[in-house]
Amino acid sequence: MTDPPLRRLTLPASLESLQAFLDFAHAGAEAAGLTAEDRDRLDLVLEELLVNIARYAYHPGTGDVEMAYMVEPAGKLRLEISDKGSIFNPLEKEGPDLSSTLEDRAIGGLGIFLVRELVDSLTYRRENDRNLVSFRFPSTEPPPG
Amino acid sequence: MTIEPIQLDKAVLLKVTGRMDAESAPDFEQACERWITQGVHNLIADLSGLQYVSSMGLRSFLSVAQRLKAQSGSLVLCGLQGLPRQVFEMTKLIGLFPVYQSSDEAIGKL
Repeated sequence: MTDPPLRRLTLPASLESLQAFLDFAHAGAEAAGLTAEDRDRLDLVLEELLVNIARYAYHPGTGDVEMAYMVEPAGKLRLEISDKGSIFNPLEKEGPDLSSTLEDRAIGGLGIFLVRELVDSLTYRRENDRNLVSFRFPSTEPPPG
Repeated sequence: MTIEPIQLDKAVLLKVTGRMDAESAPDFEQACERWITQGVHNLIADLSGLQYVSSMGLRSFLSVAQRLKAQSGSLVLCGLQGLPRQVFEMTKLIGLFPVYQSSDEAIGKL
């Protein structure tokens, strides 16, 4: 048995690339047989990660981001997003305080929290000066809420 | 994303349709800001046609609500469903806004 093929797309790390990455991932979502609802959830996960990279990874310079996915036999997607920007480990980021009142509620920090809630097997490694974030989607846990 | 405003007696109802993502979220915030600058203190966002919201959209809702609260007003949400509802629930933002099933119910509570 050979491994399922790995598809890759590399584009500049900018908001303008977001839609092309989503379209690219939709081909994988279709191949994996994801529901329309799961596809929207996948868009959310990818938007959060990619916007973060577009904003912070190369600031104030520019660089590329690569997305790779593989359709696993069980109808899941294995995805990896990598960049050569500054070190950022989403697993180490402190979670937002979800208990504060409207006045005190911090405006940021929700994106990475949502990613962690919606995916499985989220891992981070720094390799050859690259940030590599990989995960499996959809999560086997029923979506919270 | 489209935003359709309807002026009511005591509030402005904004019907938000489509996808509120990193690109479109600032449009929602700016639309709200325009009403606030005109002296409107109560906004109702009808989200029954909202299909998608990311953290950038959540930021916009939060920032508008905080601004209105400081003026003794509020941002009321109605029609939350699907992924947007799930996202508001996961982040526990849902408890920070007055939330109603429908725009009729939200208008009735003004």
